[in-house]
Amino acid sequence: MNTRLATVDSTAPDPALITALERAQAQVNRVVLGKAAPVRLAFACLIAGGHLLIEDLPGVGKTTLAHALAATLDLSFQRIQFTSDMLPADIIGVSVYERESATFAFHPGPLFAQLVLADEINRATPKTQSALLEAMAEAQITVDGVTRKLPTPFFVVATQNPVELAGTYPLPDSQLDRFMLRIGLDYPDPAAERALLAASDRRELLAQLTPCLTRAQLAQLRGAVASVLASPALLDYVQALLAASRSHAQIRVGLSPRAGLALLAAARAHALLEGRGYCLPEDVQRVFPGVAAHRLMPSASATLSRDRLAAELLEKTPVR
Amino acid sequence: MKTLPALTETQFRLTAAAVFVAVLPHLLRLPWLIALPVLVLFALCWLQRWRGGTRPPAWIKLPLVLLFPILIIFHYGNLFGREPGSALACAMLALKLLETDNRRDARAAICFSAFVLMSALLFDNSLWITALLCAALALLLAALRALESPRTAWRRDLRAGALALAGALPLALCAFVFFPRLAAPLWGAPTDTIARTGLGERMAPGTMQELLIDDSPAFRVVFDGATPPREELYWRGPVLWNFDGSAWTRPEWLAAPQHDGTQVRVRGPRVGYEVTLEPSERHWLLALDVPLLAPAGAVRGADMSLVSRTRIDAATRYRMVSAPNYELDPVLSPLHRRLALQLPPGFDPRARALAQRWRDEFKGDPGLIVRAALDMIGAQFTYTLNAPLLGRDSVDDFLFETKRGFCEHFSSAFTFLMRAAGIPARVVTGYQGGYFNPIGNYWVVRQSDAHAWSEVWLEGRGWVRVDPTAAVSPQRVQFGARAAAGASVPWYQADWLMAMRNQLDLVNRFWNDAVIQFNALRQQSLLTPFGIVRADYPQLMLAMLVAGSLLLGFFAWWVMRAPRRAGDALDAAYARLCRKLARAGTVRDPADGPVTLAARVAARWPARGDAQDLITQYVSLRYACALPAPERIQTFTRAVAALRLPAATPLAAQSS
Repeated sequence: MNTRLATVDSTAPDPALITALERAQAQVNRVVLGKAAPVRLAFACLIAGGHLLIEDLPGVGKTTLAHALAATLDLSFQRIQFTSDMLPADIIGVSVYERESATFAFHPGPLFAQLVLADEINRATPKTQSALLEAMAEAQITVDGVTRKLPTPFFVVATQNPVELAGTYPLPDSQLDRFMLRIGLDYPDPAAERALLAASDRRELLAQLTPCLTRAQLAQLRGAVASVLASPALLDYVQALLAASRSHAQIRVGLSPRAGLALLAAARAHALLEGRGYCLPEDVQRVFPGVAAHRLMPSASATLSRDRLAAELLEKTPVR
Repeated sequence: MKTLPALTETQFRLTAAAVFVAVLPHLLRLPWLIALPVLVLFALCWLQRWRGGTRPPAWIKLPLVLLFPILIIFHYGNLFGREPGSALACAMLALKLLETDNRRDARAAICFSAFVLMSALLFDNSLWITALLCAALALLLAALRALESPRTAWRRDLRAGALALAGALPLALCAFVFFPRLAAPLWGAPTDTIARTGLGERMAPGTMQELLIDDSPAFRVVFDGATPPREELYWRGPVLWNFDGSAWTRPEWLAAPQHDGTQVRVRGPRVGYEVTLEPSERHWLLALDVPLLAPAGAVRGADMSLVSRTRIDAATRYRMVSAPNYELDPVLSPLHRRLALQLPPGFDPRARALAQRWRDEFKGDPGLIVRAALDMIGAQFTYTLNAPLLGRDSVDDFLFETKRGFCEHFSSAFTFLMRAAGIPARVVTGYQGGYFNPIGNYWVVRQSDAHAWSEVWLEGRGWVRVDPTAAVSPQRVQFGARAAAGASVPWYQADWLMAMRNQLDLVNRFWNDAVIQFNALRQQSLLTPFGIVRADYPQLMLAMLVAGSLLLGFFAWWVMRAPRRAGDALDAAYARLCRKLARAGTVRDPADGPVTLAARVAARWPARGDAQDLITQYVSLRYACALPAPERIQTFTRAVAALRLPAATPLAAQSS
């Protein structure tokens, strides 16, 4: 018997899945013009099973992207527009006394959907934001002492305006950590903007979208993401990045182990989106700013922004 | 009062070990009156710690603090000076350990230990003590480190201590070599009051016994040319003229250099050599029989013994020229004749009678009398280091009763017989033989080579050396005292052990030469290769600064240099590929992944796919499988070795 350790080779993912994924991305890219990279990250987040936070100025297409994602995935969909006077009961549901049966009956709120679009999440008060916390972390909510499971899969796609804008409450750190990825959209480039201006209304386009990924395919994709190979060298790299974030002079609190898991999962999903059965340092590098930037807490004397810090960590960490 | 955190068990043990090691070199030297209480203090410390007790209260400590100075004054007479001072330091250090309970105490104890340790060098600066000191210093550093990081294992502390010491060594060496020295020691190291063993000016039965079992080197000799045979190596020391019935002594006035009549006629070649004398605390300089000149600072007495004007308190080196074949004092002055015939009245009647009988029998022919005496000694006597005790008439007792003894008995009895027979004679003490170290090409003469022989004055021939011991035991002269003693050799003086020790003497010699003897004069000539014949203080300071800065710079570079990644074979091959690419103009940023690099390579050389292909291979080995097969890594390594890329042109390097 050969005593040598068997080499563990990666297996190529199912081509049908990859084709479906590409079709889905292409459909979203038809609505959100010129934003292939953020769209790809958004897909990576969703197939890795994470919640997505889209942060940018009003009017650059955050909600459109969220809508397009919802329409492309075959999932039950709810949209919550957050306002400052919103209460937790408004999103998770409320028990109402019913005279016929003389009991309290639970009326589920908008959170009971597979894909929840939490629009302008940072306009809600921290109390309401925290109501999302349990839901996002554990896919369940507790009302009146009764714990209720949320439907599976359960995605939250949240949008928020930059914190500096009036009428916003910054998301607490714990809440931010629940989002696997945070992406920005930025202004479209001139060609894309021109096409946007020339084309018909986005709302009409959204109405025409058809689901490209079934629930079964989504479940398959999640399994495929988990089986993407992360070699020892890649794990070393992820660890090195985490360690670098914890020892950087301008960072007060580095990345948590949960952030490390999120980074690895997102990198795996990114590899799958590229049709690979194994993960590369480049996958990690693509998703790192989205995973890390909103989790890093710069020190009081930091001169660099969070995004710049994340980029610097990438530049300083050697790859094998 | 704020209470400091107590020491952990490891911290205390390391501190106690450090303190004990610092006291150890002194303990062997301290009188029992002080060494015993110090040891008791250590035992108390251990007991107190072991029982988990609290620190001793002040009413115990205070009397102890007073007790030691009293003991020291009682023994030494005062508290100052080398011996009392170091004894006091040892005692106080042990007391400090007794009350050491927190980090601050421990740190103070360790720092003071370093001082106590250093003071051991005032007594002995041999290589072994210095090596012991280094080991102790490493322990001290380890203890200091343990105080700072309580949770590390003591082994790691020890290793770190040794490492720190090793790191400091080059700097210490640099300071040793270049730090400006004073021609005289900065502080006059007080001299030893404990007498060392060595040749004395007095020889009584048994005085040499101590010497013959002492293995420490007496001096070392390097001959300019060929060495005379071992049995001719008689190293002349004090010459003893006076005999009072029990002891031979030397008349002080004979040391005067001006003397009429002393003359040496040299027959045959002269021998030049250099002697390095170990500190003897005496005035004698040793030279091969018979010295033709006196070294600087020394005088050659009328009896050819060399006496230094200053006491030999440090290793001393001098050049000598001797004549192995000589004629000494062809004419004997009346004064010397009277001295060389003097005998104490009322002692040893039987020996006198024997001498008188020989005188009558041989009609006063000195040659025949000497022959008769040697024959008698050679036939009836035994050489042994365990000589029996002798009574009042020591010569009679030896000649007619015990008949067992070693060089001093033989030379004493022989000289007595000669004088009684009317032949001028004297006892010469010194050393005989030595061990030749073939590696260092020098002779080492040990205290155990001490010897005593006789000289008789014969008409027409002058003073003639007669070694009665050689008549009894020719091995003594050929192989040394210990070989001659035969069966009485103890186990620790076995031949192989002695041979090893003789070889090890090379190290001692190096230490003496390079370290102990490195004085201001030799320091001044250090910079001769740089064209400075006599370096003054500023020049030496500059040299030290430059050398020290270079060393520190080197250390800084060593510490700051990027840590080597512990890579495997695949990493090494990939690194080689990257170096080849870099030479060809495509430099990989350390933060670039392999695919990024492949894209750049493809953009740089669109036509050739080999380099790109190699990177793809690397990716599949490194990232597409968890554990690459060794043969695949080998294939990759060979492919990388075979890769040939065009050298970079400046333009290409810019564009890439």
